[in-house]
Amino acid sequence: MLDQQLAWYVAGPLLGLCVVACRWLFNGRLGVTGGYSEIVGRLGRGCARFDWRGWLLIGVALGGTLFALLAGERSFEGYGWLTATFHGSERIVIPFVLLGAGILIGYGAKTAGGCTSGNGLTGTSLLSPASLTSTATFFATAIVVAHVIEAVT
Amino acid sequence: MTAERVAGAALGVVFGFVLCWSAMVDPDVIRGALLLEQSYLFLFFGSAVAVAAVGVELLRRLRARALLTGAPVGWLRERPQRRHVVGSVLFGVGWGVANACPGPVAAQVGQGMSWSLPIIAGIVIGVRLFQRGGARETEPAADRSTPSGARLADAIAEL
Repeated sequence: MLDQQLAWYVAGPLLGLCVVACRWLFNGRLGVTGGYSEIVGRLGRGCARFDWRGWLLIGVALGGTLFALLAGERSFEGYGWLTATFHGSERIVIPFVLLGAGILIGYGAKTAGGCTSGNGLTGTSLLSPASLTSTATFFATAIVVAHVIEAVT
Repeated sequence: MTAERVAGAALGVVFGFVLCWSAMVDPDVIRGALLLEQSYLFLFFGSAVAVAAVGVELLRRLRARALLTGAPVGWLRERPQRRHVVGSVLFGVGWGVANACPGPVAAQVGQGMSWSLPIIAGIVIGVRLFQRGGARETEPAADRSTPSGARLADAIAEL
């Protein structure tokens, strides 16, 4: 059952209910980048006590672990267009490309006050104009970037 | 505070599990969506936003209080600023290249995908760079709801 992609009309509402639960529990935004922010910020000050946002991020990783344990045998041999494009010794560039992309993701999400969860899911559900602007911007940008990559590879 | 941490972690586990089951951790699925070849992501995302919008509005109308903090449920709607556009362009470039965003990246690492380690390292560096710039926290632990709620939310954020 877990080896089949969960139907969107089940998965989407489940994710939406997570946003509602976060509001009801903490009057908070379900934003995963807020978790990175909490953990990185606290560790930078030599403290390892995180608030709920840090624990949310730890939970997301554990959710992945739980899924892997229940779903059983899975292979993670390649990584999307990168391993389809680069072969053999060329693959040395992949970690650097992904590191650079990660820096843009982290810095960009903090600047915009949220990522796909904080602005995309939560902020848009609050009808926040700032989040609607952010969401339209990152979707449009990512769509353009994906098409550019498709054109040059 | 312990109850908050446990609740946060439990919510994260459900969130991460759904991200895995919906294959949002598969870069090819994200890429297929961004190339406008697959509709799954948009239907998934749209239905999530619709359910969330109805749910939170219901909480607000019922004048609910946050179960763990007691703060009144409410939020202020921010106006778009330059940083929302600039930050989201940077984020969108990273997302378009890596085909994974912060939630799925954490779930990928939890699943044991070694390719995502450089992405998560990058996110940590990016967040740190932002914080070293001395900018204020853009994602507080609780939203300011009403003037009295705002004081309470601030007090909670200080803890």
